[in-house]
Amino acid sequence: MTTGYNFAYLNEQTKRMIRRALLKAVAIPGYQVPFASREMPMPYGWGTGGVQVTASILTPGDTLKVIDQGADDTTNAVSIRKFFVRTAGVATTEETEKASIIQTRHRVPEASLREDQILVYQVPIPEPLRFLEPRETETRKMHALEEYGIMHVKLYEDIARHGHIATAYAYPAKVNGRYVFDPSPIPKFDNPKLDDCAALQLFGAGREKRIYAVPPYTKVTSLDFEDHPFSVQKWEEPCALCGSTTTYLDEIILDDKGKRMFVCSDTDHCRKAQEKAA
Amino acid sequence: MSTELLSGFTDQARGSAEAFRVMLDAMAQPGRILPLKPDFAAPAPLFDSTAAICLTLCDYDTPLWLDDSLREAAVIDYLRFHTGARIENDSSQASFLLCTPATAAEALARASIGNAEYPDASATLVIQVPDFSGDRLTLKGPGIKDERAFTTAGLDARFWALMDENHQLFPLGRDVYFAAPQEIAALPRSTQIKREGQA
Ligand SMILES: [Zn+2]
Repeated sequence: MTTGYNFAYLNEQTKRMIRRALLKAVAIPGYQVPFASREMPMPYGWGTGGVQVTASILTPGDTLKVIDQGADDTTNAVSIRKFFVRTAGVATTEETEKASIIQTRHRVPEASLREDQILVYQVPIPEPLRFLEPRETETRKMHALEEYGIMHVKLYEDIARHGHIATAYAYPAKVNGRYVFDPSPIPKFDNPKLDDCAALQLFGAGREKRIYAVPPYTKVTSLDFEDHPFSVQKWEEPCALCGSTTTYLDEIILDDKGKRMFVCSDTDHCRKAQEKAA
Repeated sequence: MSTELLSGFTDQARGSAEAFRVMLDAMAQPGRILPLKPDFAAPAPLFDSTAAICLTLCDYDTPLWLDDSLREAAVIDYLRFHTGARIENDSSQASFLLCTPATAAEALARASIGNAEYPDASATLVIQVPDFSGDRLTLKGPGIKDERAFTTAGLDARFWALMDENHQLFPLGRDVYFAAPQEIAALPRSTQIKREGQA
């Protein structure tokens, strides 16, 4: 561990402020708590919000896993993991079940999470109403009054145009029957995993300076319509590596003649499934 | 005077990180009683657990209110020195309220509930209880799989009636930590509380 940094990089005053925001976020599931985001030694878009949340909850005894698009070995995931090894001296793992904290961008692990685990999401745009209403004062009011009509109008326009709800990522959901929230740009395939999840789920948006949370065992309901119920992505073929038919698959282009295959995006889950089959 | 002050965390960064994790788990799993034993001794009648909460969360941005039984010079000096928080006389202006069962109802009634656009701009109460025995409660809500049984001592019917009102205010409302000398539990505003004998 490098000395000269405070434990987990952030100074104590910043951590106190983020920790207070985290507790209010947990007490008001799905509500976006504003916080004074700090400059981190990495660019926005690299998960500075998630990094600040992780830095504020991390203890020396934690085992950290970092994934990006389901994989542990991308540049982004590797650099965040290295950052916390250097500044907090924590243990790291690529195995979901061995992690006490999992920081993620764009996916929820396939394995069911436990009560003693925390999932930290990196969020680019926390406000689900933002692209419908650019003014923060107005979106605050809409959340306060539970005025979510425009969200349904947006989804209904999808149906009118495409015959189904075309939104496939960052699919809006309602938390604990109250706040509509953005689950971050995960595929809607992952939305059902947020519902009644045993692990605490924390969301950090660095540029937008927002923190929100879904406590364990909390109802998360994806928005839909009676005649167009919420449904998730499906694939015609199983994972080419492990044969799974229940996981989220990425399309891999194999050559310039258009040869392709589908494999699990959760690399740890896929490797475990292959080991089990062998 | 500060030379006679009792110390805080031996290692502030690690000590507060470990204490916060307990506080986060307690808030995320309402009614779960978790050990919180910092590596320092707080001045009586302040519990070590209560002091750990204050030293982890409070600073000059969070006015602190104490009930009369806790408002002793040694406690005030200690909290001022280790947190930098202003000691507030008006409980409705405080971010954190430290109280005991006898004053809990009054403190809860006066504490800030936030506002519709910023329900997070609300107070947190820390109620020192002798232990977690006594009143039997059943809890429901976020953080709880089905239902959880919870017991805590010394709080009267008026307090629990106000806690019920507090839950009805959701998403506004206050959040409560119960602190026994070396254990804590939390009841956020999101928790529905049923007392024994209640329908
Ligand atoms: Zn696979």
